[in-house]
Amino acid sequence: MSAVSAAFGTNMAVCRRSMLLIRYRTGFLMPARFLSDGEPAKFQPPVKPVFKDELVPAQLQRRFLSPEFIPNRCRKDPLYFKIERNDMVKRRKIFDIPEFYVGSILAVTMSDPHANGKLHRFVGICIQRSGRGLGATFVLRNVIEGQGVEMRYDMYSPRMHDIQVLKLEKRLDNNLMYLRDALPEYSTVDVNMKPVMLLDYEVPVNSIQVQMKPRPWSKRWEQHRFNIKGINFEKYLLEKHIKRAKKSAKPWEEFDMLKEYDTTKIEQELLQELDRKLDKSKNQEIGKKTAGPNV
Amino acid sequence: MRLFPVLLVAHGRVARRMGLGPRSRLDMLRNLLTALVRHERIETTWARADELRFYAEKIIEYGKRGDTNEKAMKIADFWLTEKDLIHKLFKVLVPRFSLNSGSYTNMYHIPNRENLDRAKMAVIEYKGNPFPPLPVQKKDNDKTLINQLLLGYRLENGLQRSPTSA
Repeated sequence: MSAVSAAFGTNMAVCRRSMLLIRYRTGFLMPARFLSDGEPAKFQPPVKPVFKDELVPAQLQRRFLSPEFIPNRCRKDPLYFKIERNDMVKRRKIFDIPEFYVGSILAVTMSDPHANGKLHRFVGICIQRSGRGLGATFVLRNVIEGQGVEMRYDMYSPRMHDIQVLKLEKRLDNNLMYLRDALPEYSTVDVNMKPVMLLDYEVPVNSIQVQMKPRPWSKRWEQHRFNIKGINFEKYLLEKHIKRAKKSAKPWEEFDMLKEYDTTKIEQELLQELDRKLDKSKNQEIGKKTAGPNV
Repeated sequence: MRLFPVLLVAHGRVARRMGLGPRSRLDMLRNLLTALVRHERIETTWARADELRFYAEKIIEYGKRGDTNEKAMKIADFWLTEKDLIHKLFKVLVPRFSLNSGSYTNMYHIPNRENLDRAKMAVIEYKGNPFPPLPVQKKDNDKTLINQLLLGYRLENGLQRSPTSA
């Protein structure tokens, strides 16, 4: 401080404004800690690198493309999706979004200004993945103290702190919103659950059929458009309900080739593109050759 | 509201609305496709032929997966209402187009229907069918402004007219 006032030849009271003035007048750059008048910034640990099992050959490692990368079938300019993908890759370089599916059990830590310690952790079963591009979301559900709780998270939100997969598995359906109408034990997850190791190469499919609460449900899950396999409807429906559900079925739609959207080719191209982009950054960061990360 | 077909597609409406609903539309196209596979050249209204064309090409693409493929067999079973034609699809049509990729059909505009409603009519056929080729009238474009200007340009510069140009 004395050096500054000596350089100026004045006995100015040192406050934030005067410091700024000095900086502008002389082109003098102060150390960063001079400028912060609060406590020093907390030490932030560097991002943990993702280590791959080197013993498993690269072609045997499971390839997974996160569904938000696949654009919807539309006539939008593909450049838009490319630009958006670049942003997503940028985020993924510093924040690890693991592979998970609907039905997996996740623990998500999110920064929350109102929480104790500014971080909030929630454990639950993923019941829905939706949204495309940067707006991709997923919903976690858990029953806490007898009360069903659902949290919708933005995957690319800057408030996201950590996504940990506690148990990696799939279910029979791609959307488990019907767990709202199922008995609470089917959506109850232990908050202090330890992560379960996955020993198989393939992700296991949990073919459990849930027990439902008595009707009426929040939606008519028996209808053909939901195409739910995780409920044994014979237990809950009368004959008239089955008849009505059959009436709404559109069995010819699967044969209408105009409505097909084959994404296998797009997926392959996307995987190659993402491998190229993410691999480069990983090699620069770690300075070590690793197999392609799952995106 | 009547829109130009290109505009309709731009607005997300890829298919025409025909018949009594989506089910009826598909049933009608099924019958047309069965007839097309049977006779290899049929005559319908232009709009129906235009709708049919996509499905006629797509069923060949599916046929190329082979008759052991489950999905291909399912599609063929749905679209060909006369079941002896499934054999024809896999044994006759698919080998015929094994070297081509896409564009398996031709569509021609023919004079409007006379006796009923003056509907716009068309002929649709699979390529390589056994019938004699249809006489296609070439458009007489010589008197259009651009061609006249080009002709004048050529005459002025003493250029020869190439035989392929219109």
